[in-house]
Amino acid sequence: MKILNLAWRNVFRHRRRTLITAAAISVGLAVMIYMDTMMNGLDNLAAGNIIDFETGHLEIFAKGYYREEGLFPLDTIIENPEFILQRIAKIKTIKGVTPRIKFQCRVNNGIDELPVLGIGIDIEKEPKVFETANTVVKGEYLKNPDDILIGKDLAKDMDLDVGSFLTIITRDRYGTYEAYDFTVSGLINTGHPLLDRNAVLMHINIAQRLLSMYGITELCIKTRDDNKLMQLKNEIAGKIGKDFEVYTYKELNAGIFDLSEMKRSGQFMLALVVVIIAAIGIINTMLMAVMERIPEIGMLKAMGFGNYNIVKMFIYEGGIIGIFGSLFGCFLGLLASLHLVYYGLDLSHMLENIDIIYPVKFIITGEINYMTVLSVFIFGVVVSVIVTLWPVRKATKLQPVEALRHV
Amino acid sequence: MVEMIDLYKDYKVGKVLFPALRGITLKIEDGEFTAIAGPSGSGKTTLLNIIGCLDIPTKGDVLIDGTSMTTLSTKQKAEFRKNELGFVFQTFNLIPVLTAYENVEMPLILVNMPAEEKKERVISILEEVGLSEFINRKSNEMSGGQQQRVAIARALVKEPSMVLADEPTANLDSMNAKEILSLMKELNKKKKTTFVFSTHDPLVMEFAERIIYLRDGKIASDKKK
Ligand SMILES: Nc1ncnc2c1ncn2[C@@H]1O[C@H](COP(=O)(O)OP(=O)(O)OP(=O)(O)O)[C@@H](O)[C@H]1O
Ligand SMILES: [Mg+2]
Repeated sequence: MKILNLAWRNVFRHRRRTLITAAAISVGLAVMIYMDTMMNGLDNLAAGNIIDFETGHLEIFAKGYYREEGLFPLDTIIENPEFILQRIAKIKTIKGVTPRIKFQCRVNNGIDELPVLGIGIDIEKEPKVFETANTVVKGEYLKNPDDILIGKDLAKDMDLDVGSFLTIITRDRYGTYEAYDFTVSGLINTGHPLLDRNAVLMHINIAQRLLSMYGITELCIKTRDDNKLMQLKNEIAGKIGKDFEVYTYKELNAGIFDLSEMKRSGQFMLALVVVIIAAIGIINTMLMAVMERIPEIGMLKAMGFGNYNIVKMFIYEGGIIGIFGSLFGCFLGLLASLHLVYYGLDLSHMLENIDIIYPVKFIITGEINYMTVLSVFIFGVVVSVIVTLWPVRKATKLQPVEALRHV
Repeated sequence: MVEMIDLYKDYKVGKVLFPALRGITLKIEDGEFTAIAGPSGSGKTTLLNIIGCLDIPTKGDVLIDGTSMTTLSTKQKAEFRKNELGFVFQTFNLIPVLTAYENVEMPLILVNMPAEEKKERVISILEEVGLSEFINRKSNEMSGGQQQRVAIARALVKEPSMVLADEPTANLDSMNAKEILSLMKELNKKKKTTFVFSTHDPLVMEFAERIIYLRDGKIASDKKK
């Protein structure tokens, strides 16, 4: 208690030193929290784009269709979607269902050819699940049978525009090459790179004709309550039987949502760099602050303070500064994060020409993870205590005179 | 009683060893009022530091009441300093951001004593060294002589059984020096406190009952009055 008292008073005595040290902690922590908020925001936007344009909340496939991401087989398809539609028609939490056909194909503009994902859509049902119809930035939505929608980036890459002709080349269900001529009816700008650069949208019956099949590859479902996604998934799975499989959008995009995958994706590295920079800032100032006071440690020893009490005093001081610095850092971080949550960060001009794999829109809005804030707080306090401990331990090994003479 | 047995202390200066003490054998009885004199660089400070267990000798031993200091653990040495010793440094070594009061209070932090009594003691010792007006002055805002008196008050406040004072009057005028020395003499008579000074000051030698002269790290003479 006496020592804590002394430590408390020391913290306020060395006002300038305390302020600088606490500021280093605060800035470090604030950056960590802000980065995390931004990362969460990115994840949310990615999820939003996937839900709004790529898969919906849930997708139903024929059993054995879904093997891994990026594979679009035509040997196991849903031959009779009506059967499923009837079975799930009564589930209240389903907001909309729409069929899609996804298949690999190539776009040819007469000069160049690019591999893309062909998507056949049912223009009647599509708006109940997806937002594609609202993202046409030039021209119009699908109307005539040979209309095709392409992303604005693909249009740029292939020098196409509304009214341009293009040919889609693919292999049908039986492996035979097929080609079909389309007219670009509109350009879409979704913010999802898959849709904007790597896919084309056509009428589902045209896709069926092209692939010589009657069925579809998937049914996409939008729910009213995305908190109970797993529940809905199980309910649907129970109703449709063993011939079909249901996946959530998270399962279908494990690469983006999986934590272990995230580590590989560079996000983790970025977070680590931020943590290290913050720690170095704290270590630096804390170290200086303690080194400065090594003669004082000598004096305390001369007065009969044992190493135990000296170490204790400095741990308390480091802890107190750590707590204040961390509190303020969390406050700052939260403040900056709230700005990101409510106003967002407009990256549209930055992302114009960058081909990012991450499916995000142009404005990042953050999401605060309070667990992160708590762990960052603990991190700040622990780092400041450990950092104090090290030079103080060294100083206690000196003879009192050596410490007194230390500069 | 403090006994020094054939003490040697070498300082390492770069790669060479500089001998500061070269075979000191000496006995200081309880209740002595002793001055260690000698030219600058003769080893006075070094000797005091070793007596106070603030530094370790290169060779030889110090026995305090029969206990060898070289066998004590760091913790035991700290205990000894806490319970028995008061130190006045040549360079004062006050904590600059602390007030006179707070500096003097420091040694009492480890002592079990009612807060009221601590306060009384600190204030009365500061009065006795003539600093009653400077109680709340920060030590880095005081003159050299004032700082020296704070350092003396800090050494005396615990009423230790032995006070080691390194040139305690170097920054004081003769008036102040006399007062301080009288105060110490009084403590020495009343409480049997042992005082060991290092000094150049004739006044201190006048007060001292025993004067030990050092030269080049050796005892040149040892006179009792
Ligand atoms: N830390 C040190 N490193 C190297 N040499 C030292 C060190 N401390 C003291 N010395 C040397 O040891 C010798 C004795 O020093 P000491 O401080 O004991 O002298 P002193 O008698 O107290 O002198 P003064 O009267 O000037 O205070 C001196 O020659 C000094 O240069
Ligand atoms: Mg000296």
